[in-house]
This record gives sequence, structure tokens and C-alpha cells, in this order.
Amino acid sequence: MLKYDLEIIKKCANNLMFDMSEKEYQVLLKEFEIITKQMELLGEIEGLNDVTPMTFPFDVYTSYLREDAEGECLEKEEVLMNAKDVLDGQIKLPKVVG
Amino acid sequence: MYLGKTIEELHELLVNKMVTPFELTKEAIDALKKDTTNAIETICEKEALDFAKTLVDPEFDNLLWGIPYICKDNFSTKGILTTGSSNILKDYVPVFDATVIKKLKEKKAVLICKSTLDELAMGGSGMTGHKGITYNPYDSSHTYRIGGSSCGSASLCAQGIAPLALGSDTGDSVRKPATFSGLVGLKPTWGRISRFGLFPFAPSLDHVGYFTRSVKDSAFVLEVLAGSDIEHDATSSPREVEKYYSLVNGSIKGKKIAYIKEINKGIRDQVIKDRFDYCLDLLRKNGAIVEEVSLDRNLLASLYPVYMIISCAEATSNNANLDGIKFGPRIGGETSYQEVMMKARTAGFGELIKRRFVIGSYSLLRENQSVLFERAQKVRHLLVNKVNDILKEYDAFIAPCSGRIKSEFVENSDNVTDEIDIDKMIIENHLGIANFAGLPSISIPVGIDNGFPFDFNITGRAFEEVNVFNIAYVLENELNLKNLSVIKGER
Repeated sequence: MLKYDLEIIKKCANNLMFDMSEKEYQVLLKEFEIITKQMELLGEIEGLNDVTPMTFPFDVYTSYLREDAEGECLEKEEVLMNAKDVLDGQIKLPKVVG
Repeated sequence: MYLGKTIEELHELLVNKMVTPFELTKEAIDALKKDTTNAIETICEKEALDFAKTLVDPEFDNLLWGIPYICKDNFSTKGILTTGSSNILKDYVPVFDATVIKKLKEKKAVLICKSTLDELAMGGSGMTGHKGITYNPYDSSHTYRIGGSSCGSASLCAQGIAPLALGSDTGDSVRKPATFSGLVGLKPTWGRISRFGLFPFAPSLDHVGYFTRSVKDSAFVLEVLAGSDIEHDATSSPREVEKYYSLVNGSIKGKKIAYIKEINKGIRDQVIKDRFDYCLDLLRKNGAIVEEVSLDRNLLASLYPVYMIISCAEATSNNANLDGIKFGPRIGGETSYQEVMMKARTAGFGELIKRRFVIGSYSLLRENQSVLFERAQKVRHLLVNKVNDILKEYDAFIAPCSGRIKSEFVENSDNVTDEIDIDKMIIENHLGIANFAGLPSISIPVGIDNGFPFDFNITGRAFEEVNVFNIAYVLENELNLKNLSVIKGER
């Protein structure tokens, strides 16, 4: 397991596209200490190697053919109505290439 | 005058033309405006009154006709502000209705309000929404919490303002606040109700749930909300929806009910202990076979860290769309689209959920996946296997919802806790078992102590909601605690 430190935690936050205050990072470091300790304890639980990772509570079996019918579609105005910066029917962002 | 009535009672009044949907709606909206618990995001006054005005001819076989209801603010409601109680969505107006909203509209129930929650449903205290703390209407001193994340829906339903309030339940977010507000809180089987339009938090654990003030009301609402929604939610079950309302008759003769010794060890209040024994006697009196069973204490204690890892990991990807581009705040002065996202997410997310996202991201790093994420998923599998083994022999199990009748506000109570009291850790988190395993689970009022109500929880086999409804119905009838609300003077 990758040892956590402030640098790694900041990297994780920045990968998620946000930043936090130094105070918030300190609280988080403390939480990491607790969680990794708890997770190590989990490693001691017997029978872990006998089961697969559970990704959903149970399978939901469905078998159907979708009708060849026109589906729902949003109007352009609807798509744009929540964007803060719109120009000529498109969402405006800073230039990607200079 | 009509506040504090159940769906069944209001239906009688509506079909007998003793009251109109418009009058009901108007009274409920007036009551919402007097809320002192900070439970409201948006009152849908115009939409609700306009819709209620159109309801003229009562539908005798439709209990929800003209009934006002409340909705947690993490369900998409077309044309109505939907914030998730987060600043990143504070101006967001959805362009479609969640499936449950659509179904309630078709049944002509009247949406009157969007209610507060812990930010994006990722907390359990009722303290982390962007509008601040939501209080418990049973406690005017504001000392004891109502719990979360469906805090606003619980408060408004407990105030008797509406007989139905939608919530969501990823770890216990309906069934835990139900105990602190004396409500019937149901989370059905995973996949029984479509999640389309519910803001996803952790889809392998997320459920639509709701509060009512009677078991029969809860059964009828499930009949309406359940069902396949395959075009929108591939995890919605194609199984036939049962006639829950008519199947709830209190018949539990010969049913086998277990209680788990290791959960009950964490009970702190003697009143809960005594009540539990009393309820077991009532169930036996009604013909059920009630027995104690045992479940590995270490496995039960693992619930909390396993929940943290799985839910946080799933949450990171589910909230990647909150980018400040299609919706969300645009802070200004950005020179790249990455900066648009960074600034919007830094300003838009609250402290708690940022920390949870980072925990999730860390557990998903390639170097950590096997010892964190996959290990958590394996422990989940082991625990679910053990619980399902119990349910091979028993129809359901019953447990207190919490070790305490009331729970004080504690600063930063949603932080990860270094809990050394294993018994407490188990009893305060065991409701998550039903999320891990996708089982139907209901919280039901069983007592009032010094003005504070409390619930017990009943969990059954997947898709066997009828069993949990019937066990709850027996207790409701025997204990005479149907339709608790603050306005009825039970405080």
C-alpha cells in the first residue's frame, strides 16, 4: 500500500479537481491514520481469501429487446439553461489553444 | 386542521369532499412557512397550488390523489431548484423528473417542498447541508439531532405537515433519522424502486426510501413507487410488484424472527432494553417464533470502515460531473477549463465531502486497490453471506435503530471516528447491513421516553417486503403508536 503523506493526499485532491485548506488537510491526515489502522484490522478477518469482491448486492437479471422507437431528447435550451457562460448556443470556456 | 393525518385518513376526507386538495395544499404550505427546524430548501408554492387546483374529481381507488408530499432535495424535479444541499448546485434547475417524482405526479400527489439534507447525502448528522444544521422538531432546545442525511424530510413529516416524505438511504439515511423523529422509515430491496433521477452517491448501496406515519401508508406508497424502469435504471428489478397494501394484515403466525446478540450488546438506555424485550413478547404473542442468533463481532465491527471505503470510492466517480461547466458556479478569472473546474469544485463542495472524496480516491489508487477497496468489498461479501445465512432460517431480524433514544449534536460528528467502543460502533452502524445486502428494511416507532420517540428496525429477505411490513404492522397495532407527530402533542 502506498504510504500516505500530505503530498499524496494533496495529489489525490488535485486529481479530483479541487483544493483544500491546510487545516482541512491536517484533519484529513488524522482520518487517514484511523482508516488505515481500521483497514489493517480488516485484513485479519478470517475467510477473506474465500470470497470475491462484492460490487453489487445481487445480480438483477433482465432480458429484453428495446423497441426501435425514438427516445427522449433534451432541447438545446434545456441543456444550456444551467450553464453560467453561454455564447451562440454553446457553453463558453477559456481558450484551449492559444 | 388537516395536518398530522395519515394518507388513509386524508384520502377518506378527500373522497368524501370534506376537504379539497387545494385546501390541504394551502394549509401544508402555510405550515411550511412556520418551520423552525431549518428543514426547507424550496417551497414549491405556485407549482403546488396550481396543480392542486386542477384536482377536482376524487379517485376512490387511488390513496395518493391530492395528497401533499415532501421530497429530499437530491431528486431531480423538472423546473424546480434542486441543490443537493450543496453550494455546487445552488442554482441548478433540473430539466427532467426522477422516476419516483413522475410516478407520484401520475398518481396526482402534490409536491409541496424540497427538503434539506446532509450535503449530497454524504453525512449522517443533519449538520452538513449548505444551509446549516437541520433541527429535530421534538427538541425545541436544539440540543439533540434528528440525524441524516434525510434530515429535512424527517423533520417535516414528523411535524405532520405532509404524510409522505421522500428520502434516500445509502447507509441508513432514512431509517436512522426515522428513530429520532418517531416515523415509519422504509428502504425496500435494492432495485425495487428505480433510482433514475436520484443524485447518485454510491450506486451499489443507494436506495430510494421514504417516511410515512403508518405502516399501511408505507405499503401503499411502495406499490406506487416500485417497479421496473429498465430504460432509465438497469438495476431496477423486473419482478412483479406485489399488492403490498392489501397483503399487510398483521399475519405473522409461524414467522421466524431473529435478533442478533452482538448488536444488542451496544444498547445504552435501559428503556430501549426493556422495550425490546416487551416487543419480542408481543411478537411471540402474535404467533411468531423469536430467537437469539449470533454473528461474528469482528465482521459487524468492520461495517463502518468498509462502508467508508466503498461509499467514498464510488462517490468520487459519481460526482465527477459536478464541474462548474454544464452547471454549478463559475467563479471567474479562469484561464483554462481545468481552472474552471478547480475553482468551482473548491468553492462548491463543503469540507466534509471533499475529505470523503479524497479518501475514496486514495483507496482507488492502483497501489492501494487490493488492500483498501478490494479488501473492503471482500469483507462486505463475507458479512452479506453471514446475514443471508441467518435469513435462510429466519424470515427477518429485529434490532434497535440506535443504542440511545436521543443523540446530542457534537461538533464534527461526521468525521471519521477512532471508535474504541466496539459495541457502540456496531449498534450505531448496523443498519448498513441492509444496504450492503440490498435487503428490505423498515424502522418503526416503538416508544416515547420523556417526549422523545424511538424506533426499532426490521430487516427481511430480498423482495420479501410483505414480511417486514407485517411484523411492523403488528408492533404498530400492539403499541398504539401509529401516526406520531409533534402537533399531536406527543412531545
